[in-house]
Amino acid sequence: MRVVLTGLGSTGSHIARQLTQSPVRELVLCDPEPRRLDQILGAVRAVAPAHQTVTGVKDLTPAILGAGVLVLAGPAGTHREAAAGALHAGSHVVSISDDANEVAELLALGSLARSADRALVVGAGFCPGLSCLLVSHAATRLDRVDVINVYRAGTGGPACAREHHRTLKHPGQEWLEGTWILRRGGSGRDLAWFPEPFGARDCYRGALPSPLLLQPQFPDAHRITARMAATRRDRFTSRLPMLRPPHTDGGPGAIRVELRGRVGQAVETVILGVMDHPSVAAGTVAALAALAALEGRAPVGAAGLAGWPTARRLLADLRQRGVRVAAFGGRLTDLG
Amino acid sequence: MLQLARRVMFALSLAGLIAALFRLRGTGGVPPQSGGWREVTDIDLT
Repeated sequence: MRVVLTGLGSTGSHIARQLTQSPVRELVLCDPEPRRLDQILGAVRAVAPAHQTVTGVKDLTPAILGAGVLVLAGPAGTHREAAAGALHAGSHVVSISDDANEVAELLALGSLARSADRALVVGAGFCPGLSCLLVSHAATRLDRVDVINVYRAGTGGPACAREHHRTLKHPGQEWLEGTWILRRGGSGRDLAWFPEPFGARDCYRGALPSPLLLQPQFPDAHRITARMAATRRDRFTSRLPMLRPPHTDGGPGAIRVELRGRVGQAVETVILGVMDHPSVAAGTVAALAALAALEGRAPVGAAGLAGWPTARRLLADLRQRGVRVAAFGGRLTDLG
Repeated sequence: MLQLARRVMFALSLAGLIAALFRLRGTGGVPPQSGGWREVTDIDLT
C-alpha cells in the first residue's frame, strides 16, 4: 500500500522517518520546495528498509491517485482542499493541522468521508493529537466526565511557532454548559503543572482546536477548555508580526490533560501528561494514525483521536516508540 | 538640573504606569503539596 506524505517541515520529516519503521511498501514524499524535498528524500532513503521504496514528487494531485493514506503535514490552510481531493480519490486522510478554523472545516468533511467509507483523522499531532489520546485514556478511569481541561506548552518547527503566535491573538471556543462560548485570546491565565522537569507554566486561552475535537466525543461534559503556555513577551507581541524568525525546533514541549468526573458517587480527578519534543511526538502520532488507517483500525468519518476505540493501543505503540505518558498521583485539591 | 530631574521622574513614572498596565493579573496556582508524576507503564495500557 502507498502512503503519501505532503509537507516536509520539522514534523513532516519526523513522520517520514517513523513511516520507514513500518510495513509500508511505498512511501511518496511531497513538498513544493525542491531543495528541502531532495534533502529529506536522501535522509529517509538512507534509513528506509529494503522492502520500502521512497520517491519524491513536487505535485500532490497525481500522487494521491491509488494511495492508501494521505498524510497532511503542510502549513495550515492547505489541508481542507487536499483532504477533500484524497477522499474523493478513495484514500484515508490524516491531518496534523492545529489551526482551529481548519480543524472545523475538516470536521465538516465528515459526510464526505462517510460516503467514501474512509477515515479522515483530524488533528493527529502533538496537541491536538496526543492530547486527545490522553483524554480518551483518562476518561476510561471515570464513569462520567464533567470537565476536560487541556494545556500545552512548546512548539515544533517554524510553522508551528507561527501558528502559536497567531493562536494567542485570536479568540478560541470553549464548551460551557451545553453551548460554545468565544473567549478572548491571551486571557484566562492559569498556572499548569506539566510533568517534570518541564514544571509549571502560565497558560492562556487562544484559538485552540482541542475543544472542537473533544466535544463530539464527550457531549455530556459540562466544560471543555484548552490553554497554551506563553510568556508575557508572547502576549505583548502577539498583536505584532513575529519580530524574529522562529527557531528550527521549539521543543521540548509538554501536554497536561485534566479530567474531572465521577466514579460512582465520588468526584474524581485524573491528570495525565507528556513531556517530549512536539515535532518528534507529533510525527510519531501521525505516522501511527496513518498505519492504523491503512490497517482499517481508524473509524470511518471525520474525527479526532479521542474517538478512537483503539486509543489505548495507540498509546502503547507510542510508548514502544519512545513517547512516554505520565500520570499525576497525589492530593489534587490544591491544584485549583 | 531641576528640569532634568523632573524629566527623569516623569520617564520613570511613565515606565511604571506602562508596566502596571501590562502586568496582567491572575490567580496563579498552588504547587502540589504531595504526590507527583509517575510513568504510565504497559500494564496501565493493557
